[in-house]
Amino acid sequence: MADPGQKDDFPDLSSFDDDVSVISTKGLEAFGRKVTSTASHLIGPITDPTSNPRYASAMSEVSRQLRKPALQRGVFAMARTTPTDLVRSRLSTTEIHSRALAYVPDELLRQIPEGDHSYSLFQGFQASFPEFTDDGSGKSKKHRRRVSRGRRLLEERPTTPDGTPESVMRIKQEKTNMMHSLEMLGIRKNMTSAEIREIDAKLENLVGMRKILLERLANLEKDEALLEHDIIDVESRLEEAQDMVAEAESVALQTPNKSEDASGDESAPGFMSQSIYDKLPGAAGSGTSTPSSKRKPRSIRKKSAPILHEHFKPGSMIRSMRAHPDSITALDFDAPFGLMVTSAIDDSVRVWDLNAGRCIGLLDGHTASVRALQVEDNFLATGSADATIRLWDLSKAHYDPQGSGFGKDEEEDDDGIAFENPDDLPVDPPAGSMSDCPLFTLQAHLDEITALHFRGNVLVSGSADKTLRQWDLEKGRCVQTLDVMWAAAQATALSSGGDTWRQTNRPSDASADFVGALQVFESALACGTADGMVRLWDLRSGQVHRSLVGHTGPVTCLQFDDVHLVTGSLDRSIRIWDLRTGSIYDAYAYDNPITSMMFDQRRIVSAAGEDVVKVYDKVEGRHWDCGAGISEADEGKSPAIVERVRIRDGYMVEGRRDGIVGVWTC
Amino acid sequence: MTQLPYAIDAETPLSPSELAVLRAQYEKEGEMVGVQTKFNYAWGLVKSNVRTEQHLGVMLLSEIFRTSPERRRECLYYLALGNYKLGNYGEARRYNDLLLEKEPANLQSSNLRVLIDDKVAKEGLMGVAIVSGVAVAAGIIGGVLLRNLGRKR
Repeated sequence: MADPGQKDDFPDLSSFDDDVSVISTKGLEAFGRKVTSTASHLIGPITDPTSNPRYASAMSEVSRQLRKPALQRGVFAMARTTPTDLVRSRLSTTEIHSRALAYVPDELLRQIPEGDHSYSLFQGFQASFPEFTDDGSGKSKKHRRRVSRGRRLLEERPTTPDGTPESVMRIKQEKTNMMHSLEMLGIRKNMTSAEIREIDAKLENLVGMRKILLERLANLEKDEALLEHDIIDVESRLEEAQDMVAEAESVALQTPNKSEDASGDESAPGFMSQSIYDKLPGAAGSGTSTPSSKRKPRSIRKKSAPILHEHFKPGSMIRSMRAHPDSITALDFDAPFGLMVTSAIDDSVRVWDLNAGRCIGLLDGHTASVRALQVEDNFLATGSADATIRLWDLSKAHYDPQGSGFGKDEEEDDDGIAFENPDDLPVDPPAGSMSDCPLFTLQAHLDEITALHFRGNVLVSGSADKTLRQWDLEKGRCVQTLDVMWAAAQATALSSGGDTWRQTNRPSDASADFVGALQVFESALACGTADGMVRLWDLRSGQVHRSLVGHTGPVTCLQFDDVHLVTGSLDRSIRIWDLRTGSIYDAYAYDNPITSMMFDQRRIVSAAGEDVVKVYDKVEGRHWDCGAGISEADEGKSPAIVERVRIRDGYMVEGRRDGIVGVWTC
Repeated sequence: MTQLPYAIDAETPLSPSELAVLRAQYEKEGEMVGVQTKFNYAWGLVKSNVRTEQHLGVMLLSEIFRTSPERRRECLYYLALGNYKLGNYGEARRYNDLLLEKEPANLQSSNLRVLIDDKVAKEGLMGVAIVSGVAVAAGIIGGVLLRNLGRKR
C-alpha cells in the first residue's frame, strides 16, 4: 500500500468522504500516519525535501478531514464562530482585554502592501532555530547534525562500500540534506542583510531626528539670546527707573508735601515703576543724551551658556569671516558665541559679535599694531608695539546685537545701522560705536609689548625692553618691574649656573619676541622667553622661584591650570610640565614652529605653521587636524597659514595670515 | 507566499527551554527589537499550549502587523492561526478570509479555513447535542412525571 504512487491518489481521497467516514476515525488516523511515515521514508530521499513536511501535514489534514462528515460541516457552515468563543468574547474580562490589544483595525487590514521579501518570517524562524522546527522525527535531526559536521560525513562514507544502491541512496540523501542546509544558510544570510537594512533605515531616521533637534536647539538658543537681550534692556531700564525714583524721593524729602507720590512710586512693583519711568517727562531724553555716564556698565555677558556647538561634529566650521586685510597678530574671545577681539599688522583692533558674526566696532588708540590682547569679563587689554597697554570696557560699546528698536534709540549716531544684513561681510561698524570703551592707558615700557595677561586686578606685561611689569588695574599704575636679565644673572650668582640666560643657536631667535608668553595667577607668574626658558616668579618677592629648562627655541605660548603648565616653542615642540615637581609630564612635536597654543579641559590646540590647527585630545590621547586646510584642500584652494588660535569649551577660533578668522568646533 | 507553516505546525509546542531561548533573544534586543526576533518569540508563544502565552503571541503578532507593513500579508496568516488556536474563530476567519481573498491559491490558508469550519461545526454540533440532550432528558423526565401523574389519577 505504501508505494510512491500513493501520492497521486490522495487528492481523490476527499471525494471518498462519505464512504470512508464509515470507517472508525482511529483507524483512519493511523492509516494517515502510516502513509506519512512510509511515504516520507521512501519518497523523502528522492523528492524535494521541502515537500516533505507539507506532504506529511497534508496527509494528516486528509485524515482530519475524513473525521468530519461533510454533512456535519454543511449544517454549521453558516455559523461564523462557536458558542464558546462568543461567550468568551462577551464575558471574560481578560479575554476582552487581550483581544482589544491584539485587535487589528479594519483600516489597517485594508492597507496591505505586496510583500516583496525573499523569505517569509516563518522561514526566518526555521533558519535561525532549525532545532525547533524539526518535523519531530529523530531521523532528520540526526541528518542535520551530521551535515553540520561535514568533515565527519566525509569520513563516514567509506564505511558502506561504494557502488551499492544503498550508498547511492545515502549519498543522495546527504546531498539533499546539504542542499537544504544551503538553502537555510541563504535564508539566514538574507535575513541578516535585511536586518542590516532595517538598522540602516533606523539610523537614517535617527540622523534625521538629530538634525531636527539640532535645528530646534539652534532656534532655542536664538530665542534665548533675544530674550537675554530684552532682559538686559529691562534691567537697565529698571535701574534707571529706580534711580529716578530715588531722585524723586530725595526731592520729596526736601518738599514734604510731595512725599505721598514718592512713596507710592517706591512701593510699586518693578513693572509699574518702569511704566512710571516711561511717563516721566524728560526721562527718555536724559537716558539717551548721557547713555553711559548715568548707566552702570551694561553687562553683555551671557546669562546662559550656549551649548549648540557641543553637538556639532568635532572639526566642523561654525563661521568664517574676513576680519582684516592683513595677517592676524592676536585674537581672543570671552566665551563661545560671545565677543571676539582681533588685531592685525595693519594696526587695527576690531571687536566682533561671534553670535552674529559681524564687527561691532573698531578700537582706535594704538599707533602701532597690537601684539597681545586678552578679553575677560567685558574687559579688554591690548598690548601694542607702540609700547603702551590700553584697557577697554567692551560693555560700553554702542552695539545692539539684535538691531531692535530700543537699540536704535540708544544709538547716538544712526548712520551705522547697516548691520541688519549680516551676509555682506565685512560690514563697516558704525563710527564711534566704541567711543566710550577706552578706560586708560598704561605707559611705562620702553619697547613693544609682546605679551600680557591679566587676572582680577593684576595685569602683567612683557616687553621687548626685556622687562616684565606688574600693574594694578584699580589704580592704573605700575606696581613692580621685573628684569628678566637681572633675574637670570641673580640665579647664576646664587645657584651655580643652573639658570642663566642661555644663548640658543637658532636662526629664528632674532625675530622671536623676548618675552613670548605670560600668565599670572594671584602671586604666581609664569613667563616664557626667547632663550627657551620658562620662569616661574613669585610676585610677592619678585624672584624667580623655579625655571623650567627644556625648550631649545624661544617660547611663544604658555598656559597653566592648577596641575599642568603647557608651553609651545619655536623649537616645534609642545611640552606639558607638572607644576608641582617641575618635571616634564608629556611632550610632543609638530613639523613647524609653534606660534600659538591654548588648551581647554579636553584639548590642546596649537598653530604650527600649517593651514590647519593641530589638536591634541587629552582624553583620548589622539592627535588630529581641524581647520580650513582639510575641507578646502579638496576644492583645490590653499588657505593661509594659521597664526593664532584660541579655544574655550570646545569652541575654537583661529586667525590666519591672510586676515581670515575661522570659528570651529573641536 | 509559499513558505508558511501548516496549522499542524502550530499544534506542536516548543519545550520551555526552547521558548526561553526565544524570549531571551527578544528581551535582549529590548526596545529596538527586530521584526524577525519578535516573530520568532511570537511564533514560539503561539505554538505553546498555555493560553496566556498564546495571547501574548497573538498580541506580538498584531504589533508586527502594525509596525511593519511589508510583513502584513504573511502576518495575516499567523494572526489567523493564532486566533484559531485561541479559539477565537470569528477573528481567525476574519484574517484568513482576507488573506484568501488576496491569495486564493494559498494552500495553508485554505487549509486553515477548512479547519476553522470544522472546529466551528464540531463545537456547534456539541452545543446542539447538549441542548438536544437536555431537551430529550427533560422530555423523558416530563414524560415520566406525566405518566406517574396519569397513573396516580
